[in-house]
Amino acid sequence: MALPRLWAAPMLAAVAFGAFAIFLPALSLAQSSEIEQLRSVVDGLQQQLQKALQRIDQLEKERTATSDKVNELEQEKTTTSDRIGQVEKSVQAVQSASSALNPAIGMVLDANVSQRSKAGGNFNFRSAEIGLAASVDPFARMYGFINGTSDGVEVDEAAAVTTSLPWNLTAKGGRFLADFGRFPKVHEHELPFVNQPLSIERMIGGETRADGAELNYLFPTPFFLRATLGGYNEIGEENQQVDNRQSRSWSRFTYLGRLNTYFDLSDNHSIELGTSMAYTPSVRLTGSADGGDRMLNGIDLTYRFQPLASTVYQGVTVGSEIFRNSEQFAFESVAKRREAFGGYSYAELKLSKNWSTGFLFDYAPSVSSPGKKTIGYSPFVTWNMSEFNRLRFQFTHADDRVREDKNDGGNQVFLQWTTVIGAHTHGFLGR
Amino acid sequence: MNIFLKIAKWQIITIILVAAGTYCRAALAQPIRVVATFPDLADITRQIGKNLVSVESLATGVEDPHGVPMKPSFVPRLNRANVLVVTGLDDEHSWLPALLEVASNPKILLGQPGYIDCSVGVPVLEAPTRLDRAEGDLHPKGNPHYLLDPTYGKIAAQNIAAGLARSFPQYQADFDKNLKAYLGELDNWISRWEKIAAPLRGVKYVEYHPEWVYFANHFGLKRVGSIELKPGIEPTPNHLVELVQQIKQEKALVLIYGSQNPRIPQQLQGETGIKVLRLYTSAGARSETDTYIKWIDYTVRSLVQAVS
Repeated sequence: MALPRLWAAPMLAAVAFGAFAIFLPALSLAQSSEIEQLRSVVDGLQQQLQKALQRIDQLEKERTATSDKVNELEQEKTTTSDRIGQVEKSVQAVQSASSALNPAIGMVLDANVSQRSKAGGNFNFRSAEIGLAASVDPFARMYGFINGTSDGVEVDEAAAVTTSLPWNLTAKGGRFLADFGRFPKVHEHELPFVNQPLSIERMIGGETRADGAELNYLFPTPFFLRATLGGYNEIGEENQQVDNRQSRSWSRFTYLGRLNTYFDLSDNHSIELGTSMAYTPSVRLTGSADGGDRMLNGIDLTYRFQPLASTVYQGVTVGSEIFRNSEQFAFESVAKRREAFGGYSYAELKLSKNWSTGFLFDYAPSVSSPGKKTIGYSPFVTWNMSEFNRLRFQFTHADDRVREDKNDGGNQVFLQWTTVIGAHTHGFLGR
Repeated sequence: MNIFLKIAKWQIITIILVAAGTYCRAALAQPIRVVATFPDLADITRQIGKNLVSVESLATGVEDPHGVPMKPSFVPRLNRANVLVVTGLDDEHSWLPALLEVASNPKILLGQPGYIDCSVGVPVLEAPTRLDRAEGDLHPKGNPHYLLDPTYGKIAAQNIAAGLARSFPQYQADFDKNLKAYLGELDNWISRWEKIAAPLRGVKYVEYHPEWVYFANHFGLKRVGSIELKPGIEPTPNHLVELVQQIKQEKALVLIYGSQNPRIPQQLQGETGIKVLRLYTSAGARSETDTYIKWIDYTVRSLVQAVS
């Protein structure tokens, strides 16, 4: 039994070796395929890892770029905020400036050079008009024109106008151009010709400047119809018939009534009609025993051709006003009445945006001697370099039978230069 | 007798009550009277207000917006208006303020609820950096022709809806509903115009007066120059010579003018061969442009046709 035990161990070893020799190649083959598989898995993993790393890099880059962009936007935001802050501060500064509530201000210079056959030449500094306008409060606005001429400086107009009266009413008070006629209440530099027609100067006393009060009523009609009632110390810038500074009986004031209407004949054609009267019950200077009533009437008619599509460079305006003055006066202690008729007509043709031309006919009687009159004929050409800069040339031939002033007769030539700075408007009545 | 008197008394009271009721109903049923300064604003207001409003435009659309005649016949219309709709940015400065002075209607004065300024909220272009008339007839608040960009037409519509609701809050829901529908319609048109107007991108143009910047910005046109020396100032001969050179050098394709005199555009067309187009800066100037949408559509198509 000892022999088998002796051989058992080598036998077992030999069997084991044989088995190992037989199965080793198969085992080796199996292991190698697993390794291959593992290798391919690892390769796959490596590739995925590579991709993941690339993606991470890409995301990193994107994050950096986004972060840069965010920073950039932040900077822009800061800059914009700073800029808005600056603008806000600037607006606040403007709003809180002492000038913030100052009125609109402007100035008009009206100068001309003239040659008159009977009076000679002259450089005429006619007017430097400073205009101011603003709202007073929710109920009124105010405007003023202070005029400097070669004769001095004076307040041409300074008036308050209501803005919120009921029943279509508007009230005005102070010094202003009374609502008589059309051109009598227009400042001279706003006229389509160089000089105010002599008929207005003689019959009204120049522009209708008046110290007083006016009430306007707009009729609730489908067409434009407006009425004015007024009471004044006197009407007329150069009216010497009444002493404007003295308190006196109310019969020595001037009372006005006016009706003004307008019709569109078509889109391009229109007509405007007005009738005015100014009545003074007793025209008498303080201290004077003499005097009587005075009635001044006027009718004004204006036709306009304003082709809407070309209003800027085409158009025709024809206007006419007729005045009648009837006044009582004392002659050798006897009351007498004298009547005078006068007026003007004009036509203006717009040739282009800058150029226009026209003709003025003026019939001006002497109020004190109605039989004597001056008749003027004035062609004119206007060059508007811009809305605020204008040159005008005018020739006037005047047949003067009144002979009160050398400037009124003969042949006259004018070159007028009118310029505007700042805000300037004479509103609806000055249109 | 006493009974007859009582019956008569009650009859009179009944008649008065019925009459008062009828009057109140009539007053309530009356549409809101709106006056708009230009036909495009009038049309947008009609779209927002529908049958609640009766809208009139003062200008017809062919006028120079800065030179609309100051007709006294506008005064009664302004006097009766419940609401006034304006372009704003001083577009109407030369004629509207003087009319409002005599219209005796405090409800529609600047700052009142009945005054609707359509420019509120518009990103304004060309606001002058230097306020000096040496730079021409400036608009201190910026270029007022923003309605030529339909995007800003939407802002105008929003302002009109808000303004109408301010004066008539009882109809706010109607205005909001109509506004939403109109804005949707405008959005559809805007996408359509942007497609149609693709050929306009990069096109160089010359204008008579600086009116087209908003349109150009939206549709990608490039301005080469203006006939006017400065805004509102007619050109000098030297300026025209320079402009001719500029048109040739820059190869400008189209010259746009509106209510201005056609003499100079035609002269430039003769000298340079540039295409000249008369396009108005408001709706209503032509029968086919009687609404805001039709006007922009006509403008876009005319320009595309001119450059293609």
